[in-house]
Amino acid sequence: MSTQTLLTPEAPTSRGARGRGLSSRFRMERVNWPATVLLLLCAVTVLLPLYVTLSMAFKSTGQAVDGNPFSLPAPLSFDGFVQAWKLTTFPVGAGVSLFVTAGTVILTIVLSAFTSYAIVRNWDRKVFRYSFFYLLAAMFIPFPVVALPQIQLTGLVHLDNPVGVILLASMFQLSFSVLLFTAFLRSIPLELEESARIDGASTWSTFWRIIFPLLAPMSATVGIFAFLYAWNDFMMPSLIISDPALQTLPVRQNLFQTQFSNNYNVSFASYLMAMAPAIVAYLFTQRWVMAGVTQGAVKG
Amino acid sequence: MAGLGLGLCLLAGLLTGCSGGDGAETIRFTFSKREAIPFMTKVVDEYNASQDKVRVVLDTSGVDVVSASFVRGNPPDLMLANYNMEVSRFIDRCALSDLGGTAAAREIRDDYQPLLDQYGHCEGRQSALPYSVMASSVIYNKKVFADHGIAAPRTWDQLIAACDALKAAGVTPFEATAMDNWTIGQGWFDYSVGGSLDVVDFFKRLATEGDSVGPASQTSFSKDFAEPMTKMRKLLGYTNKNAPGLGYGDGNLAFAQGKAAMYLQGPWAFSEIAKTSPDLQLGTFPLPMTNDEKDLAVRVNLDLAAMIPQGSKHQAAARAFLDYLYKPGNIQAYNDSQLGFTPLKGASAPKDPRVAGMIPYVDKGRVYQGPSVLVPKTIPVFNYAQAIALSGDAGSTLSTLDADWARLAFRAPATKEKAK
Repeated sequence: MSTQTLLTPEAPTSRGARGRGLSSRFRMERVNWPATVLLLLCAVTVLLPLYVTLSMAFKSTGQAVDGNPFSLPAPLSFDGFVQAWKLTTFPVGAGVSLFVTAGTVILTIVLSAFTSYAIVRNWDRKVFRYSFFYLLAAMFIPFPVVALPQIQLTGLVHLDNPVGVILLASMFQLSFSVLLFTAFLRSIPLELEESARIDGASTWSTFWRIIFPLLAPMSATVGIFAFLYAWNDFMMPSLIISDPALQTLPVRQNLFQTQFSNNYNVSFASYLMAMAPAIVAYLFTQRWVMAGVTQGAVKG
Repeated sequence: MAGLGLGLCLLAGLLTGCSGGDGAETIRFTFSKREAIPFMTKVVDEYNASQDKVRVVLDTSGVDVVSASFVRGNPPDLMLANYNMEVSRFIDRCALSDLGGTAAAREIRDDYQPLLDQYGHCEGRQSALPYSVMASSVIYNKKVFADHGIAAPRTWDQLIAACDALKAAGVTPFEATAMDNWTIGQGWFDYSVGGSLDVVDFFKRLATEGDSVGPASQTSFSKDFAEPMTKMRKLLGYTNKNAPGLGYGDGNLAFAQGKAAMYLQGPWAFSEIAKTSPDLQLGTFPLPMTNDEKDLAVRVNLDLAAMIPQGSKHQAAARAFLDYLYKPGNIQAYNDSQLGFTPLKGASAPKDPRVAGMIPYVDKGRVYQGPSVLVPKTIPVFNYAQAIALSGDAGSTLSTLDADWARLAFRAPATKEKAK
């Protein structure tokens, strides 16, 4: 993220005057040492822990606790992965995590797009205006505050399972997502909808055929935030899901954090396996992630 | 959408898999001691195979999940959990059923009852039964002691003499890891206090003082702990120079590499040390804090206790499995594998030579529970212990502890009343 923002000042310079501008452009492109050093430092803060995670995961238990986190694994051991796989029943855990994440992302995008569309197009009506503020107010309520009643409620209505987590997580994502969507929706000209109306489109089909496709960049942003939240969340699934067989990955991995024993190789192998989907998803959607994040930043 | 579909299939598969209805009563058994999960999985599997009336499902998802399940009203049917201040809330509120009538309860050694009661009490009920008792004391490197002709000290003077001899020979007497505050609390703080005074008696007296604990009261931390803390600080003078920057993992590594002669840790550190030096000859002895050998005692904690929540709908089935867990073959095998002591009458101590030095004390009941874990978690006693160890000012920290205790007793007098 920081790479992107730090490099953008280049663009106006290159668009500048010819003669002197050209040489200054070359100067810019030669080496900007302060920025390079800063970026290198930033890169190290990410790459170094990643390297330790990788090398630890392939170490044997004895080597993992020898006090040299930066050493290369010797001998290469896959024991950590085998143990982590078994202890967390990885396929099941990952499946539940995937289910919860996918459900949360889809529900968040669809619900908040609906809500925002309704609110923005009816802004002149009090009910809608106040419902917007009502939703925004939810941003100030963190989950731990309402954890106890939520546990009891979900238990009463038999939602003490991943479906309940999807519902709750979507609700907690709603306020922020509605904020993003409404800001974006305001910039979409009303004329587009009017032309659709003239062609005989109902509100429902106007939304799905005109508005929702136009919301795509913002949907990506909202989806990314919901994905990161749902995939990494520990507290909500740990408290809401009552059947241990249906627990998500982060909760299963809590097993590795004990006071009395260090099994770095097993825990890091497990973390690596849990990180993999997020990294793979990022590699494929990088373009939209970058676009989406800046989208969220400049609209308002 | 594909992901959602996949997830739904998986969920459906799991749900049907869980309710394999063959008439057996399914009970949920929580156990989250990570290093013993393979052992307990085997026990559960054997039990499930041995009969077809009760099917036990092992739940390893941890303490938070259990607390949430109490709130929700579907607590586990049987818990085998660390017996601590967190559990005491369930006991004080009578959320656990009476185990007094079980066969297991009759086999338990009587001298553990006062220790159980220290964490709370529900009138007329045996809320918990001890399953595994961990004893901890000073771990020492037998080779280093033998090389310098030193025997395990039994009095304070012998201890100081041993430290001086080791120091003169260029050996670090103690390995300390002050960065992790619990290691100071568990080892230095608890051993010093437990070796100096009667912990059960102290907390009883403290409870009667209630919210008047302070400079004027008969019993207080600043009065009773002052001398042990002074001695602890003297011993801390014999530690490695880099102690303030070392964590638990670093300490295990350094001790395994033979960098120090003594280490104040519990039996859980043995398996960590063995990761680096599997053949290191280690022994244990209680930390002598006085010159009277009668004061020698080891710190114990009820590492595991069995509990059946009142809210469980499978009381009889849970009791059947409880009896199976307490079968001498199972409980003894478990404790042997974890270097724990079996709290049953006539049980044999673990055979591992590393804990042999503590056996006489455990057998005679010369044990105490660490004061650092008997103080409710709302008081950051580990941090206070660390502050005393690092800053050197025991007096002001102990009076802070007094004030905290008094405040808590003032705000929550009911629980304190019961704790008596």
